[in-house]
Amino acid sequence: MGISDLLSVVVFLPLAGAVVSALVPKTRPEVAKWVAAITMGLGLALTVWIVAVFDRTASGMQFVTNVAWVPQAGIHYHLGVDGVSITMLALSSLLGLIAVIASWKVTDRAPTYFAMLLLLQVGMNGVFLALDFVLFYMFWELVLVPMFFLIGMWGGTRREYASVKFFIYTLAGSVFMLVGMIALYLHTGTFDMVALAKAGSTGALGIGFQNWVFLAFFLGFAVKVPLFPLHTWLPDAHVEAPTAASVLLAGILLKMGTYGFIRVSLPMLPDAARAWAPWIAVLAVISIVYGAAVAFAQTDLKKLVAYSSVSHMGFVMLGIFSMTTAGLNGAVAVMFSHGVVTGMLFLIVGMVYDRTHTRQIADLSGLSSAMPVMGGLLAFASFASLGLPGLSGFVGEFLSLIGAWQSAVIPHWITVIAAVGVLLAAAYMLWMVLRVVLGKPSEVLRGLPDASTRELWVLAPLVALTLIVGLYWSSLLAFVDPAVKALVALVGGAA
Amino acid sequence: MTWLVLIPLLPALAFAAMAPMSRRVRTAVRWLPLAAMSGSLLMSFAAFARVWPGGGEEPVWRATFSLATLGGAPLSVGLRLDAVTAIMLLVVTIVGVCVQVYSLGYMHRDERQGWYFAVLSLFSAAMLLLVLSGDFLLLYMSWEVMGLCSYLLIGFWHEQDAPRRASIKAFLTTRVGDVGFAIGLAAMWAYAHSFDFAVVLRDTHWTVAAATLVSLGLLAGAMGKSAQVPLHVWLPDARAGPTPASALIHAATMVAAGVYLVARALPIFHAAAPWVLIFVMGVGTATALLGATLAMVQYDIKKVLAYSTISQLGYMFIALGAGAEGAALFHLTTHAFFKSLLFLGAGVIIHATHTQDIREMGGLRKTMPWTTGTFLFGALALSGVFPFSGFWSKDDILMTLWTQHTWWSLTALSVALLVAAMTAFYMTRVCIRVFAGRACSLARETHLDMIVPMAVLAGITAVIGFTSPAFAAFLGEVKGWPDLGMAVVGSIAATTGIGLGVWIYAFAGVDTQELRVRFPRVTAVLENGFYFDLTYNRGLVETFQWLTRLLAAFDTTVVDGAVNAVARGWSAASRVSWAFDGTVVDGAVNGVGALVKRAGDRVRTLQSGRVQGYQRLGYAGLLALLGLALLVPYIGALAAAACAFVALIVVGVIVVRGA
Amino acid sequence: MTVGPIAFMALAGVLFCIGLFGALTKKSAVMVLMSLELMTNAVNLNLVAVSRFVTPSSMAGQFAAAFIIVVAAAEIGLGLALVLALYRMRKTVELDRIDRLRG
Repeated sequence: MGISDLLSVVVFLPLAGAVVSALVPKTRPEVAKWVAAITMGLGLALTVWIVAVFDRTASGMQFVTNVAWVPQAGIHYHLGVDGVSITMLALSSLLGLIAVIASWKVTDRAPTYFAMLLLLQVGMNGVFLALDFVLFYMFWELVLVPMFFLIGMWGGTRREYASVKFFIYTLAGSVFMLVGMIALYLHTGTFDMVALAKAGSTGALGIGFQNWVFLAFFLGFAVKVPLFPLHTWLPDAHVEAPTAASVLLAGILLKMGTYGFIRVSLPMLPDAARAWAPWIAVLAVISIVYGAAVAFAQTDLKKLVAYSSVSHMGFVMLGIFSMTTAGLNGAVAVMFSHGVVTGMLFLIVGMVYDRTHTRQIADLSGLSSAMPVMGGLLAFASFASLGLPGLSGFVGEFLSLIGAWQSAVIPHWITVIAAVGVLLAAAYMLWMVLRVVLGKPSEVLRGLPDASTRELWVLAPLVALTLIVGLYWSSLLAFVDPAVKALVALVGGAA
Repeated sequence: MTWLVLIPLLPALAFAAMAPMSRRVRTAVRWLPLAAMSGSLLMSFAAFARVWPGGGEEPVWRATFSLATLGGAPLSVGLRLDAVTAIMLLVVTIVGVCVQVYSLGYMHRDERQGWYFAVLSLFSAAMLLLVLSGDFLLLYMSWEVMGLCSYLLIGFWHEQDAPRRASIKAFLTTRVGDVGFAIGLAAMWAYAHSFDFAVVLRDTHWTVAAATLVSLGLLAGAMGKSAQVPLHVWLPDARAGPTPASALIHAATMVAAGVYLVARALPIFHAAAPWVLIFVMGVGTATALLGATLAMVQYDIKKVLAYSTISQLGYMFIALGAGAEGAALFHLTTHAFFKSLLFLGAGVIIHATHTQDIREMGGLRKTMPWTTGTFLFGALALSGVFPFSGFWSKDDILMTLWTQHTWWSLTALSVALLVAAMTAFYMTRVCIRVFAGRACSLARETHLDMIVPMAVLAGITAVIGFTSPAFAAFLGEVKGWPDLGMAVVGSIAATTGIGLGVWIYAFAGVDTQELRVRFPRVTAVLENGFYFDLTYNRGLVETFQWLTRLLAAFDTTVVDGAVNAVARGWSAASRVSWAFDGTVVDGAVNGVGALVKRAGDRVRTLQSGRVQGYQRLGYAGLLALLGLALLVPYIGALAAAACAFVALIVVGVIVVRGA
Repeated sequence: MTVGPIAFMALAGVLFCIGLFGALTKKSAVMVLMSLELMTNAVNLNLVAVSRFVTPSSMAGQFAAAFIIVVAAAEIGLGLALVLALYRMRKTVELDRIDRLRG
């Protein structure tokens, strides 16, 4: 087995774990969670290895596996990783392990639960590594199934509604994506995403054709991002999902949408992307401001974080469609940072909920007095989320703004409104901190224990990443920049 | 000279070490930030020695650090040591050490004091990094971190309502300005493709439009941080934090960062449209006047000082508007010392009297001689009395305005003189209320560890003014001793203010209560701070909250409602198709099923259950197959014959029927 | 008179027909089994005879016959055991009365 098979191992190792975990008898839940933890741990170790071996100066695909799968239809088993996807792979491997450890106390149908988490991991890793459209689509849809069950079986009181809404909404989006895929195939005769990117950049596709295909992909990806006004599945899914599922939903699943824009829409359909960019930028800015404003009015902590995700993903979209290196670097940085920081926020909210059984902001207050560590970490995560320099949130937002201003396709007034979004982020986050973290401890917090060692270990890597990326941008962007540079050269945007 | 990195790094490390500690351990090592700051102080002196006496604009040391690459081009941040930096380093570390020492005494009863010292340390690190920054990006980053520390310290006693609200107000108000700052930076990058001072300020040829845009952005940031009208509203509320923190952050250093920023970026302001600098001066004039006016009517001693700070920052902006970087920085320096001195004195007074209301104080000169003495030094400096530092720096600014001799600079000059008189007046008012008269309380003099820092600051305040020509020369400007005429005019303004104050408050020349009653409308306007807070609360905050609630309702009813309506429509359609399915489609399926069942009923009789029956069938089948095998060669002919036979019969039947 | 292959085949044919008749008509399962045995032996006879006359040197037929005898012995043992079990359950071995699988 050569080093290029590493990616296959990373993708399918969780599948093996899922099978084993599913076979564990219900009476021994601890076996299932150990299976899951070890599988995820191995996956993370392999990912770290890949990251270490990855050539940061190259812009193309690395660790490529490409074998014919269904040769009659030109479908290949084609995996590879570049600077953009490796950041997402690393994030997904890390959050996968964290999700398992955060679920340590789950005993209800534990074998199935952990099997679902592992199966989800297969899909998430696969989406970011697949370079064949059919494979990409399979992984894309594979993600829906375990997430559907995680929300539907282990969720809150309105879990049926939320899970069905999530499933159908995103599936409806991806159907359009499928149409786009097939259209591209019929036009070019290949499912190979690398070849399609080349075809797109050489102008082989006419603008009329591109426009329609772009629209189809846009619907598929924008639902996932989610971009205003296609976002309403997100708060419901988040509120009902168990903590680990929330972490993965916000941390990884949303990124699949923006990753799709970077991997598919921009390189394959550059002319259409340029034509649509101002309109998408408008939607992105609406997402930023609207998400922030609605987040401000929320009374449920999880909903607040969910709407903040809408706002942050707006920055990603703004960065992507600025079509500049600064903007795209920023977009990937926001994707990464949002995964880490929002993961942290959801974990802490989940930990508080485990103790108090409430997520209502009005019920909580004085967290920092009752539980200094937990309160401090919530404040830390909030500041990272509102984009304080020195923490990871700032990197992406700042670069996205710079890129958007530089961009030839986005008017300046859009960037100005987006910058106001930074202020609004501070408003809703600090308003939450003021009510939840500060003040006199409320009745429900009386006598509750502070963060346990396990909980600290869950949060520690996220805290560390937030600081590392925030203080030394290159730790993340050194991977991203060559790929982004090549992409911008392909698309023909500004440097 | 890489050791310069240690200047901000030491306090930062102190914070990093203290942040994860438990409350108890943190309290035990509360001296750690002081140790770090002392190290920074020593190194700042060393750094100053490296720059002295050459000075000038050229940095003696630079270091760049690649934060990331964008499309292969490096995005660097850097440090730089030049004359301005050397001075700012000294200001920050001296005031910082004094405040740290003072805080050890001031905070020693608070059970969360460890956290206070840690944040103070982080603040010092950020402020030192800010003045060492060699580019606007690093400056902006440390700028924001300072904002965080300010937020944390204002809200230090967050169990109470007021500090919590003041802290969020401070952060958000300054962030309004920072939105402009961020846009300015984006525009700067788009135009100059760099944040480096050397590139942006010297090597770039700015177009008027670009320079105007960038300078207005930077100005917005500076106005937020330095509490200029109309973004000044957070500073008076910032007094909710511990007093020494106010002394360091909201008097000496952070609030001056805006002045520092504009002073640094002045070449861009010069390249911008001319009205930008006039606008800066206008903002400064309005702020100076507003601050002084409101400082005259406050009863809370810290609020007097806060409005006074706003007013003095306005003074510095006036200087910046005149393009006089040196005068602004000199006033910044003197102000840092005397205003932090005043805040520290106010802290001692508040501790001793257990009130912040100057009406409840009095006669402290007898029981607290040291505090009285040092506070008076600060008050005299602030009032601009010779030979205290404020006199010199104020004179610089006034002189600059006079030399510029444009209608706007002369307007600003007259307002500045008025403000000088008002300043002297309100400081006289405070001093008489607090120190003169009968003793109202059993206040005691404070301990030595708090007196010493105040004494040090008082000493600096007394002498630093004489460095005025050297200071200018160090910054590369040519300036002699003050012009006698302007010195006289300034002194007259100060004396007028003091005299008026003494007449009113010491000799009860005017009954201020009666004035309040006689002019209720004026009183209301002043007590509400020209209704800025009220307007913002009603006009912005409440509108925003209302809007967010509206949008949230819109989200659930309209946006999500549309989704649910689609789902409901779909489910209605599915019920219709279900009915269709049950009758028509499934009817067809059931029909086929019934057909098969009937056929099956016929065929099942073959299944007799008897072994021998099956055997018979089996052998019959075998025989048939055998026969077939024998007949294979002729099968075609047989089949044809059979077909012909059947056809014949059919035709026959048709014919017979037809007939 | 030499005994030719036709004679063996005729004998085998007669035996087979007797067996077939018995297998199809006898009521008792035991009798059916015995008839089956007759048919097997008819085949054996045929095999041996044909082998002897067609390829005298190879002995293939004899081997096949010996093999079939062994299998038949096993089969008859199994069959009788089934009949015994059947008898224990149903108190009869009459095939006409064992028709529970009727459709």
